[in-house]
This record gives sequence, C-alpha cells and structure tokens, in this order.
Amino acid sequence: MTRRPLVRTSLQKLLSRFHFGVTLFAVALSGLTILLSGITAMRGYADRNIELAAQLGAYGVEPALVFNDAAAAREGLAPLMQIPGIARLRVLDDRSRPLTEWVSPSEDPAPLLTRVFFPEPFAVTIRRNGSAIGTIQVWGDSSTLIDYVRIGLLAGLACLIVTALGTIAMARRFEYELVKPLNEIATVAHDVRLHRRFDKRVQSLGITELDRLGGDINALLDELQGWQGSMESERAMLAHRASHDALTELPNRAAFDEQLAQRIGKAQQQGNRLALLFIDADNFKAANDRFGHAAGDAVLVALSNRIGATLRDGDFAARIGGDEFVVLVDPLDSAMEPSALAERIRASISQPVTLPGNALYRPTASVGVAVFPDDATDAAALLTVADAAMYADKLSNRTRP
Amino acid sequence: MLASLFLIGAIWSTPQMSVQAASQTIVEDGIDGMTNAVNRMTGGIITYARWPGPAESHRTLCLVGTPQLTARVAPDLPGNGPRITVRRTTPGAVISNGDCDILFLGRLPIADRQRLIGWVRGRPVLTISDDDPACLYGAMFCLAEKPAGLSFSVNLDSIGRGPLRVDPRVLKIGHADGGTP
Repeated sequence: MTRRPLVRTSLQKLLSRFHFGVTLFAVALSGLTILLSGITAMRGYADRNIELAAQLGAYGVEPALVFNDAAAAREGLAPLMQIPGIARLRVLDDRSRPLTEWVSPSEDPAPLLTRVFFPEPFAVTIRRNGSAIGTIQVWGDSSTLIDYVRIGLLAGLACLIVTALGTIAMARRFEYELVKPLNEIATVAHDVRLHRRFDKRVQSLGITELDRLGGDINALLDELQGWQGSMESERAMLAHRASHDALTELPNRAAFDEQLAQRIGKAQQQGNRLALLFIDADNFKAANDRFGHAAGDAVLVALSNRIGATLRDGDFAARIGGDEFVVLVDPLDSAMEPSALAERIRASISQPVTLPGNALYRPTASVGVAVFPDDATDAAALLTVADAAMYADKLSNRTRP
Repeated sequence: MLASLFLIGAIWSTPQMSVQAASQTIVEDGIDGMTNAVNRMTGGIITYARWPGPAESHRTLCLVGTPQLTARVAPDLPGNGPRITVRRTTPGAVISNGDCDILFLGRLPIADRQRLIGWVRGRPVLTISDDDPACLYGAMFCLAEKPAGLSFSVNLDSIGRGPLRVDPRVLKIGHADGGTP
C-alpha cells in the first residue's frame, strides 16, 4: 500500500483553484447554453428563410410551370439565387419531372453543419386554381449559420475570458479578505511563540468567525501573559532567595563567591586593584546568649545596614556566615589606604544599637583586608589572606583595652 | 451560336424533357404535340387574365379566322379555372353579339383584323393571335412557333388600353420573348 505524500498548499492557492474551477464551470455552462439556444433560434430563422424563399420561388415560377417554360422558371428563380444560405433549387412539374435546376456556385462552408441542419430539401407544392402544377425544392446550406456559429464561438470565448478574469479578480479580493485576517492571527501567534511577546493582541477582524477566533486567542494570550508574569516574579524571588540572606537582605556566600571570581577576572583584565574586607562581629555569640536571638538578629541587621552605608557605588557587600561579612571595594584607588577602609568600617559598626527592650548594645568588629593583586591573585588566596588579617585584628582587639 | 446548336442537339437526344432557350414552351412529340402546347398556352394565358367584375365560372372563346398552329382550339386550363366554351364565329357576329370574353384570331383579312382590334379597344376582351409572330397588329398575346418550341409574346400597348388585367409575371415572360422576333 502506497500512501500519497501530503502536498501542502496555501489557503490562497486552494481558494484560487477552487474559485477558478467553479467560475470556469459556470461560464462554460452558460456560454454553451447561450450558444445552443442561439443555434436553435438561428436554425428557426434559417428554416423560415428557406421557407420564405421557397414561397417566393413558388410565386415566381408558377406561370413558368403553367406554360411549361424552363427559361421562365429559371428567371422566376433568379431572386432566390441572391438569397444567402440556399445551396440548390429545383422546380418539378406536375409529373415530378425537373423543369429547371440551379446549384449555388459558392461552396458550402461547413458541409457537416448543413447535414445536421438541412438534411432534406424544403419543398413547396405550387398550385394554380387549386390543382398542383409542380413543386419547388430548396436546399439550404450553412453559410448563414456558419457566421453565427463563428461569431458566437468568438463572442463566447471573449465572454469566457472576460468573465474568468472578472471572477478571478473577485476571487482574489475574497481571498484577500479571508487570508489577511488569518495572516494577522498567524503573525500574532508566531510573534508570541518566537519572541515571547505576550503583550501582542489580534486586532478586531471583519469576519465574525475569525473575529471570534481572534478573541479566543486574545483571551488565551491574556492568561499566558498572567502566567508568564507570575512565573517571572516567582523566578526572580527564587533567584533572590538563592543568592541573598533572608535576614539582612545582603547577598549570601554563593553570590559573593560568584562576584569575587567575576571581579577578580575583570580587575585582572583592566589592571585594577580591588580590596577584600573580611568583617567579623566581636563577641557576637556572647551577646546572642545574653540578649536573646531576636536581639542577635537586630544586631546583624544593624551591622549589615552600617556596612551597606559605607559602600560606594560599585562596591559589594555580603553576609557569608553567622556573624561574618565581606566587602569588596572595587576598584581600589591607589590613593586609598586599605587600613583606612578597615578603620572606617570599624568606626561605622561601633555606634550603639538599640535592642528590642530598649537596651543599648555597642557592637565591635574585627576587620581584615586583602588587596588584589598585592596580597593574592586568586579568590581563595585573597579570602585566606583577608581571613588571616581579620584574625590578627581580632587578636589585637582582645589585647585592646 | 454554338450553344444554340448544342441546345437543339440536346432536344433531339432527350425528347421528354430538354433544356430550353429563353421562354420556350416545351412541345412534346406526337401528332397532338403542337395542339396540346397551343391549348395549354392559351389556357395558361386565360388563367392569368382578370376580367373586371366578379369571377365567373364560364367564359366564351370566339374563334375567328383560320388558326395556323392547330386545328383544334380547346384551351387547357390548369386546376379548376373557368369553363371555356369555344365558338367558331365571324368578325361581324363577334361585334354584333358582343358576348365574347376571349377572341382567338386565326388568319384573317387585314380589314377584319383591324375592325376587330378596333372594336376590342376599351372592352374587357382578351385577344390571342397565332398569326402574328412579331405581335405587331394589336392582339394582346401572340403565339408563335419557334425552332425550340412554342412561345408567346405580349403586346403591352394593347393590354394597357383595355380594362382587362394580366398577371405581371406573365407579361414578363411574354415581354422577354417578344423582344426577339
């Protein structure tokens, strides 16, 4: 069993073909009808023409028959010889003997047509005072019909062409009316699928069914747009949650690692310096134990706010552990002293914090600084150097008064 | 010339029906051939003549003088035309009785002929002569034997003077022939 391959075609082509077929059929049918009825009418006229000719001939040859005068008979037939469409004339006397005969010198243009239309001669009995004195026989030919048939066929063909062209134009117009809105719907669907342009809408269409389809598509797009919006916000929320600390709203360890690697790469490329500050709250655990978790949280939030306040545009802060924060100062100007940075952070942090219950707490922090590329040239090493510097600072703090 | 010779030859070869020269009635072979032809032609002429007044079923033919083409004048009318009574009579009787519808003029003394023609003028009487091939002496129709057969010619002046009406188709046939004596 062989399956015919699916040949895909456009709606416009399909409609065009269909329209053309229907039009051609209708025009051919009507043309044929007109031609046939025309030929029938024409045949009636031709018959009458021949009958009239025969009557005229009968009148003309009557005395000739009375006088049995062949020459006069011929003269009597003379007017008939001028009439087109007569192939042959014959006059018979009362004993059916031919008195005179005439055959048209012009050739029959279409013998087939003649055979169909005038298979037999038209005969009129000639009477004088009530008794038959002879017969006149008239054979028709197609010369009167052939012109009509020729002109009829030509006119029919012309009509066919004109009508076909007109109908094709009208079909085109119809197709345009139908295909244009369909194309509009298709364009919107395409845009939505390919470019995720959920804000696109199908315009109001002139055809009821298509307008309903467009309306349904628009409603579907509304829903899709809603879904898309909530999905995007959800995703953004999830992304934020994944990279940020819930309590302080600062980026978390994962976000920091990413930022550090990125910024080192960039600094390396551009030949910049950057400073990594490792900040650790002093005695946080003790404070937590003494004032409670809520107070600990308040301290952490206050710390993060203060650290954030010291940042310039482009700098980056993250909370990487319970009470551990980092700051990336990027780029680090040559005029900026790393120890001054650390000092500024420390100073900012050491302002008193009002705890829930109105107790005042004065936090302190140890800060370690590492500078890329002076102290290390990769992220891990830089972090280690900063961490070590922080510890050193913490140790010196303990010894501080 | 050659054509006429050929035509005459054709008549000999086909006695029943033959191609004719202009306006020649076919004269069939046999003893009565000319008689029949004359009577048929006379009858034909009579059927195409119209007398003033209502149509009558009976007409009188007065035979005057000696007919030259046939001894038996008895017009043969096609169909049911009027019945014709043939009466042999004299010019004097014709004029005094005045009941002739048709005058068949045979050979007559010139004076008698002129008297009859003069009398007919203005009267509804059809005159046929068989002794005047050129049709110059005043008869309306003149029968003449021609080599190809019997023919007749028409004197339009004579017909024009009288109240008798003749079918123009007949005049045409006779006129075409009368032009060639």
